[in-house]
Amino acid sequence: MRLSHRLGRLRLHLEGDERDVLSVLLDELDSVLAADPDPDDAVQQRLFPSAYRDDEDAAEEYRALTETSLRTLRDERIAACRADLANGAVFDLADAGLGQRWIQVLNDLRLALGTRLGVSEADSGELDETAPDAQPRALYLWLTEVQDLMVHALMGKSS
Amino acid sequence: MPQEEAVEEVDGDVRADPDKPWITIVWNDPINLMSYVTHVFMTVFSYPKPKAEKLMLDVHHRGKAVVSSGTRERMELDVHTLHGYGLWATLQQQS
Repeated sequence: MRLSHRLGRLRLHLEGDERDVLSVLLDELDSVLAADPDPDDAVQQRLFPSAYRDDEDAAEEYRALTETSLRTLRDERIAACRADLANGAVFDLADAGLGQRWIQVLNDLRLALGTRLGVSEADSGELDETAPDAQPRALYLWLTEVQDLMVHALMGKSS
Repeated sequence: MPQEEAVEEVDGDVRADPDKPWITIVWNDPINLMSYVTHVFMTVFSYPKPKAEKLMLDVHHRGKAVVSSGTRERMELDVHTLHGYGLWATLQQQS
């Protein structure tokens, strides 16, 4: 993955294997969204948090009214990102819609993976290559790097 | 105060004080990036970068920040939008 800046256009270039990894991760996120709601599933709870902290009735009522549209939003975002991957390995970040959906989908991917890994504030951001979960942690750190790069690229345009 | 109790009975909701505004709170979490949270505040609320960064730092250091206030309906929309961005947001009536 690398950024290029030519003639005022910022582009993100993805390697073939990076696109493959993103495709697999999008499929996994899709499965989480398609699964039956499970109050014990930490990833589902993180993607669909309660809107009321101390009022269970209001929280349930709110969830009943909003969960479907939040799910649809994520489904549509995944579909658009899949289409972007199918369109090629170079993302034109001047396309604001593309940039927005990618930083959001990368955030969802990081929320899902990071929640499964139990990422905490105490994590240093350094990879312990001997840890049993070194592989998914490396993936998480890579997603973090890509998202941060894209956010800064988008903010650089707007500020 | 008796008058207040009477209002609560009618509403069936002890928190219902129409004079108090509702607020949207964003809570700290270990996954959302500081750059991303700032960007979301700028995008969703059209806050200038310094204000968005200050709110983000409040979330990061104090554990939470009030990011908007207004009617309950408006705050429910804000929370919905923030959930779409993956932020951990809740609403409540200002205490």
